[in-house]
Amino acid sequence: MPPERGSNTRKKLQNARSSRIGRSHLHMTTTGMTELEATLAALSARFDEAVANASDARALDDARVAFLGRSGEVTAVRRAIGALPPAERPTAGKLINAAVETLEARLAQALARVEDAALARSLEDTIDVTFPGPPASLGALHPVRRVAIDVARYFTRHGFAVVLGPEIETDANNFDALNIPPDHPAREGLDSFYLRPDLVLRTHTSPMQVRAMRTHPAPIAIIVPGKAYRRDANDARHLFMFHQVEGLMVGPGIHFGHLKGMLVGMCRELFGASTDVRFRPSFFPFTEPSAEIDVKCPACAGLGVTAVLRQAQDDNVQCRTCGGSGWFELGGSGMVHPSVLRGVGYDPAVVTGWAFGCGLERVAMKQHDMNDIRAFIENAPGFAEGLA
Amino acid sequence: MRVPLAWLRDYVDLPQSPDETVARLATLGFPVDDVETRPALTNVVVGRIATLEPHPNADRLQLCTLDVGAGATLLIATAATNVAAGQTVPVARIGAQLAGGLTIAPRKMRGIDSQGMLISAEEVALPGAWFEDGIMQLEPTITVGTDFIAHFRLTEPVLEVDVTPNRPDALSIVGLARELAASFGVPLREPSSQVQYDGDTEDARVTIETLDCKRFVFQRVSGVRIRPAPAWMRVRLALAGQRPLNNVVDISNFAMLELGQPLHFFDWDHVAGKHLIVRDAKDGERFTTLDGQERTLDERAIVTADEAGPTSLAGIMGGQRSEVGDATAEVLIEAATWTGPRIRRASIALKLRTEASTRFEKSLPLALADIGAARAAHLLEQEGGSVAMPHATGKPASAPGWVGLTPGVVRGLLGFDVPDDETERVLVSLGFAVDRTGPELRVQPPYWRNDVLIPADVVEEIARMVGYDRVRAEVPAVQPQAIDSAEFDRETELATICAGLGYTEAISLSLQPGGVAERWRASGIEIPTPPEILNPLSEDQRWMRFSLAPALLEFAARDRAARPYRVFELGHVFAAAEHDACQAAPEPRETVELTALHAGGESAFGRLKSDVLALLRRVTGREAHVERGTYPSLHPGKTAALRAGETLVGYVGVVDPRLAKAYDVADTTALATLFVAALPRYRMPPYVEPSKFPPVDRDLAVVVPLEALAGDLVDAVRSEPLVRRATPFDQYRGPQVGAGKKSLALRIVLQSYTATLTDEEADAAMARIVATLRERFGAEPRAAGGPS
Repeated sequence: MPPERGSNTRKKLQNARSSRIGRSHLHMTTTGMTELEATLAALSARFDEAVANASDARALDDARVAFLGRSGEVTAVRRAIGALPPAERPTAGKLINAAVETLEARLAQALARVEDAALARSLEDTIDVTFPGPPASLGALHPVRRVAIDVARYFTRHGFAVVLGPEIETDANNFDALNIPPDHPAREGLDSFYLRPDLVLRTHTSPMQVRAMRTHPAPIAIIVPGKAYRRDANDARHLFMFHQVEGLMVGPGIHFGHLKGMLVGMCRELFGASTDVRFRPSFFPFTEPSAEIDVKCPACAGLGVTAVLRQAQDDNVQCRTCGGSGWFELGGSGMVHPSVLRGVGYDPAVVTGWAFGCGLERVAMKQHDMNDIRAFIENAPGFAEGLA
Repeated sequence: MRVPLAWLRDYVDLPQSPDETVARLATLGFPVDDVETRPALTNVVVGRIATLEPHPNADRLQLCTLDVGAGATLLIATAATNVAAGQTVPVARIGAQLAGGLTIAPRKMRGIDSQGMLISAEEVALPGAWFEDGIMQLEPTITVGTDFIAHFRLTEPVLEVDVTPNRPDALSIVGLARELAASFGVPLREPSSQVQYDGDTEDARVTIETLDCKRFVFQRVSGVRIRPAPAWMRVRLALAGQRPLNNVVDISNFAMLELGQPLHFFDWDHVAGKHLIVRDAKDGERFTTLDGQERTLDERAIVTADEAGPTSLAGIMGGQRSEVGDATAEVLIEAATWTGPRIRRASIALKLRTEASTRFEKSLPLALADIGAARAAHLLEQEGGSVAMPHATGKPASAPGWVGLTPGVVRGLLGFDVPDDETERVLVSLGFAVDRTGPELRVQPPYWRNDVLIPADVVEEIARMVGYDRVRAEVPAVQPQAIDSAEFDRETELATICAGLGYTEAISLSLQPGGVAERWRASGIEIPTPPEILNPLSEDQRWMRFSLAPALLEFAARDRAARPYRVFELGHVFAAAEHDACQAAPEPRETVELTALHAGGESAFGRLKSDVLALLRRVTGREAHVERGTYPSLHPGKTAALRAGETLVGYVGVVDPRLAKAYDVADTTALATLFVAALPRYRMPPYVEPSKFPPVDRDLAVVVPLEALAGDLVDAVRSEPLVRRATPFDQYRGPQVGAGKKSLALRIVLQSYTATLTDEEADAAMARIVATLRERFGAEPRAAGGPS
């Protein structure tokens, strides 16, 4: 251990000092310059030995104190000058100063050597960089929120506003205002939880279209992320509570091409710049014409279609992400139905608009290649972090 | 809907490859959810049994010679028992490939070379139980030697086609064939409805007594002989997933699947009084449907009754009493049209959905009733029936109204023009009439398209036919608008900062079983009544969540191995409407909360509080104020209320020990809840210029009464103008300070804006501070000191 070695060195030096100081004093007073030179030479030799033995900066400092310090050997020699004849004193002083300079230079040299050696040792040192540190304190957003934020970032970049709305909704906003009268067959897929005969948990984010248009005149361009509820049992593909994002743009001269432009851009943002999107005719009571949005499967580059037809001969080519069809349905869209526009006080002769809706869990599942939607509500440790 | 491609090809010439039809259906708006492929089948021909004799060496085998056309005969040994000379049957020749990977090889059967095999339905991959037990029986009209597989198109796949609810016309083979014919530009071969009338249906009477029966077509067919339907019909039904029963029942199913008009056949001999009355069912009326179930009706249902009572559940299912059976000789065809929603309500009320009700509930066109009846009559005549003239009651079928397309409407919705010639061509191909004589183009939908009512509907038809691919993608320029994103931005910021602080976001279900609230109440926690779901699918969905904390506590208990555990949720919580005399219909309350939980680690409460304060500072731009408070779910003595300015914005505290026990989590677990709507908007903090002079650190320990709050002491210390910061760093309770007291140590930073503080100035400031604390809190300095 360096400190102990240092103290040993110090002890040795102290012994040397006590045995020799008196002697040099005696010699100085009786024999003059030659004696002094010899004393200095001996002192220098001892100093060299002490410095050579010093293996670290601390031992060197001990040597400095023992020889060059306030009560060190050199001081003792210097005091002995007083015993010399006055004429000899300046010469003796010069001799001692010269010796001190030499010692100091050697000490500096030795210090540099010791420091270099310490650096070299330090560079040799290693740590196990694979040994884990204390856990980081970084949480994670839920993947559903992450998707909502990604979608919102895209649309806000284009000037859309992001609005939120209540999950308890009137039957009128959820259905009637969206051109879905009671007993409409389209209510089939929208089986709802009722709180009161006139209050439901919204079955889609679409009622926010109605709320936003009623309170804001056209032109309007919004998206609405949020929860929706359908009276269903949870299974690998369905949750009775899930998340959607709704989009709505209404104004003079807004047409299907704008819907396509915005949604193609959104899909490329979500699934990669080379993503293909196709629109297929479909039916939603609140849009006309209506379109289903299909995204070419990013996992198999759309090679699934023939895979299904060939299934009898060749079983192993089915893509898990798209189920082998090469495309997956992202959501519904279309041009806002004139009845919906009229219902909120817009004039369909003056303004037209489009709307779309898609499931956020669905987007996340396709992005992360997941096949069980229930993982989103299990909140297992590490789930959100793993997907962040 | 199951659509056998084999059946579809009866009416339209489709491309050889099924892929093309599948793709085309999708672009027309009829996505194919599944393609059910059929096994490879080869080398089966139609043969006629010329001779049949016992096998000389085996009791259970017979030898037949088969005429398989072109003068060829085959000698085949068979174990089947339903064979007889003269029968027309399918014969697998040597080398034939059959279902289940079976191939026919030359085979000696008890010493005789059998040159093939007579086959059953199962061997060509049809459900065996749906066909005759033994060898499949074909009509003698099929030419011997015909390729059996090709004739019945038995290798063509069956498509599962998704038909949207606005298109009941396409819930039929002909309906889809019509769409494909229009799209491929090929003719549609419509099925025949020709009959030779034999008399009139004059002896039958039908009276409509309900508004929801729109039209009722009825037609008598006599001389019916019940037997199996012809093979071509049975094969098509089986491929479509409909089990063949007998020729008459099969015809009603066949015509429905073919044309989309559900039919009902009454055994006319079992209709009492030969008079059918269509009326609302009576409450409590009992009736046995032909599936043998006795059902209790209410007035939501419509029945067709005779003099003896209900004999059919209108639009849904026939009755057992007038069911067609083996002894039926005369039937009355019913082809009716009902108000769709009425049938839907009745069907939901009875929990009885049938092929008929799923079509009727979508409101079928009136004209389809006549067409359906005529087709059934034709098929029954083919089966030997003599068909009387049809009668009808109710509304006459009328053509749909004309729709005008003002110039520019197509461009306005689609963003591009479709030339009038092309518009006319595609609409005519779909059966529309087009009038281009006036200033605007007018179109009249065909009778089967009662869903086309407004110009936008016509535009969709045009878009569908020219293809949605023709729409050019264009990024719109969004005009400035008043609506903003503040709420979303706030939630995004809260969640993002929480995640950055080390908390993981959870999303839990907002519907819960009643047990959650019960557990809280049983723990002595007062909570508002949550809103109740009137129609949950299970008890797990009956109550809306009143707080985000229960779910987080459950996760913390479930994931007890994960410590320290930091989780948060940002979502809506609900409370039932409070009955209020002033309000007619009180609304349930819905608010947005953020709840965070910290379990494990050192000082969960301290850490969570610091995190929440940092979060509040960041989102509001100001330091929140901490004071004592109480909040359900939190320990009454270990809860801090948080204020931003004057506004109460939330609570942070140690979990109520009763809840900790109930959920089996550590009683040091900390919870915080923020009321998101109450959070003030972000206020830009002003810049505070740092002093150019060095600060002086001093530590001060004081003994104060136990109830004194560190926060209050800090506020008092800060009233000294030289104080820049005052931070409590230690507290001690114990014998050294005496009962009812505690020691608090504060690090105080003194600094002047105008000069370097001298020791004397600092000492004077500290003396003023001590005096203030003594005066306000009865504080006694314990030990003074410099920085440690």
